[in-house]
Amino acid sequence: MSDIPIIQIKNLTKIFGDGVEIKALDGVDLYIKRGEFMSIIGPSGSGKSTLLNQIGILDTPTSGTILLNGVDVTKMSDKERSRTRNKELGFIFQYHHLLPDFDALENVMIPLLISGVKSSQARKVARKVLDEVGLGDRMKHRPNQLSGGQNQRVAIARALVNKPSIVIGDEPTGNLDSKSSDSIYELLRKLNREHEQTFILVTHDEQMAAKTDRVIRLVDGKVVEDLRDGASVREI
Amino acid sequence: MYELFIALRHLTSRRRQTIFSVLAVGLAVMLLVWSQAMMVGFTDEMYSKTVDRMAHVTVEPQEDEDYIHLYHKLTGDIRGIDGVVGVSPVLSGPATFEYKDKNKNVVIQGIQVDAHDSVLHINDDIVEGSFRDLEVSSNSVVVGDALAEKLDVEIGDTIDASFPEANPAALKVVGIYDSGTPLDETMAITSQSTAQGFLDVSNVVNSILVRVDDRERAQAISEEIDAMGYPASGWKETNPEIIQTLKLEGTSNAVILGLIIIIASFGIVSTLFMAVMEKTKEIGMLMAMGVPRRSIMLIFVMESGILGLLGAVLGVALGAGLAIQMGSYDYGMEVMAGITTIPFVVRLQDAVIIVLFTFLLNLIAGIYPASRASKLNPVEAIGRE
Repeated sequence: MSDIPIIQIKNLTKIFGDGVEIKALDGVDLYIKRGEFMSIIGPSGSGKSTLLNQIGILDTPTSGTILLNGVDVTKMSDKERSRTRNKELGFIFQYHHLLPDFDALENVMIPLLISGVKSSQARKVARKVLDEVGLGDRMKHRPNQLSGGQNQRVAIARALVNKPSIVIGDEPTGNLDSKSSDSIYELLRKLNREHEQTFILVTHDEQMAAKTDRVIRLVDGKVVEDLRDGASVREI
Repeated sequence: MYELFIALRHLTSRRRQTIFSVLAVGLAVMLLVWSQAMMVGFTDEMYSKTVDRMAHVTVEPQEDEDYIHLYHKLTGDIRGIDGVVGVSPVLSGPATFEYKDKNKNVVIQGIQVDAHDSVLHINDDIVEGSFRDLEVSSNSVVVGDALAEKLDVEIGDTIDASFPEANPAALKVVGIYDSGTPLDETMAITSQSTAQGFLDVSNVVNSILVRVDDRERAQAISEEIDAMGYPASGWKETNPEIIQTLKLEGTSNAVILGLIIIIASFGIVSTLFMAVMEKTKEIGMLMAMGVPRRSIMLIFVMESGILGLLGAVLGVALGAGLAIQMGSYDYGMEVMAGITTIPFVVRLQDAVIIVLFTFLLNLIAGIYPASRASKLNPVEAIGRE
């Protein structure tokens, strides 16, 4: 695990609303190292998802900077942001958000097709990743023919297929029963160990958060706690 | 080209909407193709019933002159113009025809049979007797079928022709023609020398009729003749109502049918809007996976374009099939200029233009819903469950 930060967030602020203003993020500073397996926790409305959307370049901040591999993503054009999302970021949401008109294999192929990989090559890679998440025998099934846990595994395969350096999970197990939830967590853990990708998970589940290597606690848009292996990383 | 992959899958998944959208456009295009085939048939029929039966260019005497005196030379000069296929000098004047107790005022035309046939194909119209006989015996005449009926004459009968300042003559009927025009009742044709004798003039004519190989070039050729010092006019000048009729029919037809296609395309726009609403989360997810806004737009514009193209091709097939199947439209009565039946004429160029027009229209129609899709905010689009 290298010590160079893959993500550097400096004084990040996000204000919503034009009449009544809501400060969803209030001067957040955060360094995340390559290969970290971390979680962001906090009460509802604390800004967890807002922060995740900023890291995922799905939204733009009101002020502050986000450096991804040293590049300021807040200054990118739509095309560059899209390319960065495609190449460097993988998303797993609470709900799988698979494309309903495509089968499991096609869903996993799509990020590859977007990045310009040939269809035959994409098929090969997608098969391998689906095998890895344990769905080798469900490739031709559409989302409505799969269980919640299976769909979430397809969504994970899709998030990982382009070998992104950062995988973002917004309540990735929030919709699943505890058994599926545990197996999804184990899967993410395994993938993190094998591929050295950075995993950032937002969760309500304190138990699950406790199992990650680093836990960030947000309250009212501010980082109030930053623990690595149970010890405080820095003075807040 | 993952955009096309996604667009096609969207269309095949929304099968019912796709079928209805294609049908709507298809029916509109079918109507347009069918009606265009009828319009082209009508135009062709109109031309062959009128323009192809009239002189394309008419040359008149110079100003202040009653006759063209040196018509031999002028006729030769006109024949030398590129594109001229027939030239006929004509001497015409008024006459009163009398047979037994019946009489009728007519225009008598003195012609050279071969020259006149090269311009007006008169031999095609003959129903009894022959034009040729005009040159065999002098003081003979060919009359229209309606005139023959009015005067109650048959081949072999002799008509008394007279007029103030004309030399009265007895003209033997040697032929009867039917051109299907009102002239059948008012025009009698005789040889040039007979006409000269009757009208008491020397070797002169008062008009020269010209036929050209391409009727659209009539105007240009008439200008060339003008330049020779004789006033000439093309058929469009002498019969402005023909062009007027065709233009009017053509324009109102195109406007109404164009509107129908636009309405059908609105159907596609609303289907697409529904698709964009339905697929909001999906669009957000595509953005998260790295699809740029331009490509989101492209996906939905493609969907609209594909629907339009399918509808256009279906419509052209149906419309052309229907037109060819029907063959012609029979009014059962004369609509104008002797037209009772309109043949359907399907032209490849019309089919291509209609397909392109419909395809482009649908591409344009798709832009609005597509741009709405591309402007979605991915965070809001994905939302939270």
